[in-house]
Amino acid sequence: MENLLDIHFLIESFPAIVSRLPITIGIAVGSLILSLFIGVFTALIKIYKVPVLSVITSIYVSFIRGTPLLVQIYLVFYGIPKIIYYLQIEYGWLQSADVNSIAPEVYALLAFSINLGAYLSETIRSAIESVDRGQFEAAKAIGMKPTQMMLQIIFPQALAVAIPNLGNMFISTIKDTSLVFIIGVVDIMGQAKILGSRGLAFFEVYIAVSIVYWILCIAVERLLVKLEKRARRYERGIAS
Amino acid sequence: MIKLENIHKYYDSHHVLKGINISVAKGEVVSILGPSGSGKSTLLRCINFLEQPTSGIVEIGGKRVDVESAGKSDIFALRTSTGMVFQQYNLFKNLTVLQNVMIGLTSVKQLKKDEAKKKSMEILERVGLSDKLSHYPAQLSGGQQQRVGIARALALNPEVLLFDEPTSSLDPELVDEVLATIRAVADTGKTMFIVTHELNFAREISDRIIFMEDGVIIEEGTPEQLFTDPKMERTKQFLSKATRNN
Ligand SMILES: Nc1ncnc2c1ncn2[C@@H]1O[C@H](COP(=O)(O)OP(=O)(O)OP(=O)(O)O)[C@@H](O)[C@H]1O
Ligand SMILES: [Mg+2]
Repeated sequence: MENLLDIHFLIESFPAIVSRLPITIGIAVGSLILSLFIGVFTALIKIYKVPVLSVITSIYVSFIRGTPLLVQIYLVFYGIPKIIYYLQIEYGWLQSADVNSIAPEVYALLAFSINLGAYLSETIRSAIESVDRGQFEAAKAIGMKPTQMMLQIIFPQALAVAIPNLGNMFISTIKDTSLVFIIGVVDIMGQAKILGSRGLAFFEVYIAVSIVYWILCIAVERLLVKLEKRARRYERGIAS
Repeated sequence: MIKLENIHKYYDSHHVLKGINISVAKGEVVSILGPSGSGKSTLLRCINFLEQPTSGIVEIGGKRVDVESAGKSDIFALRTSTGMVFQQYNLFKNLTVLQNVMIGLTSVKQLKKDEAKKKSMEILERVGLSDKLSHYPAQLSGGQQQRVGIARALALNPEVLLFDEPTSSLDPELVDEVLATIRAVADTGKTMFIVTHELNFAREISDRIIFMEDGVIIEEGTPEQLFTDPKMERTKQFLSKATRNN
């Protein structure tokens, strides 16, 4: 009798796949954190119309949006070692860096940060711009410094506006991390591929890995709903 | 003592303030009246540099600032020696009532939290909001929000309070509680600039009334002088029209 699925194999592949979850989550969360810095920094450059940097930011965002993520990963993976090597030979910089010992996870983290940063930039800019001008004026009027104003008044309000968008982009990033095996990172997808070719049971392992992604994304979505509620608590009509 | 000398403000080529001179003694309450677009808000906002004045001198509490050469520290000094109350309240939406009043003390004056909290609670007591400390602005009526706005402006103990139409956004039945709060603050001897369309209130509370039109002060005097015997025809027209509308 012909079986559609080797259920046994499918179930047995879970522990090995799940054991690579820290890599997937690490790259996704790590690049979320780095890209938030990139996003805020570039958003402020655009809002304050900083000369030169503003143009560079526009080109950066446009390039990232206009090229495939896969290509960007390759560019980082092959480009950065070349650039470091060039700087070492030509200028004697970065002598302590050993190009060959940089883990592929680092390139993955960089590529995803650069990619997500560009998408966050626009979202963060429009969220900051959506904060009422009166909030800026009131902060200035009591003598707050720009940094204090941003950190204590503007960002918290912008965050509340931006969380749904940020969340969607983060979930996309989690799914996009399935590309990192191409540069040798063994994430959950990489592990699935390895198992699949070992047991010649690709359908089974891809079902298994898709279930892991699915559960992960559902969990993150739940978390985001909670976060948004928390960030927006001041908008609602109930005393805390 | 507050002094404005020959303040000019241009928006591009639009000349909005055309040489304003005002000198106000400590404790004086000055109301600014005038038709829409005459430059009243712009004048207030030039005092604390929410708008950059084009030329002139602003002097508050002995600190004299030539606006054309004003640096960050000059602007900081002017902002901390003024408190502003906005037409739209502009309370920090993400902060509670108590935090709204405290933030200037902790962030700007760098007071210890305990001390800032104690001071803020005293001020909120004065405006009658001790029972709303942990409410967010969205949970308050307009009148309550504006009283928090007044408390926030008072917190840094400024030389002068600037009110820009503090009751114009309020439902009519909420105006009185805010006016009463402003009156109570005036009674403590605070120096105040009040831009308002509440003529009766201005007449009753002010030591002096300034009438502005088209970027210039066309008449000033005590409320009695201005309301009973205005010298300028424009003032007369404005007052009679505005009184009829009230
Ligand atoms: N940011 C700005 N850019 C350009 N013009 C402005 C700006 N702000 C104000 N103005 C112009 O300056 C003039 C004075 O405006 P201002 O708001 O000071 O008047 P106002 O006396 O406060 O009027 P109202 O009673 O309606 O509040 C108006 O002609 C207005 O159009
Ligand atoms: Mg105005």
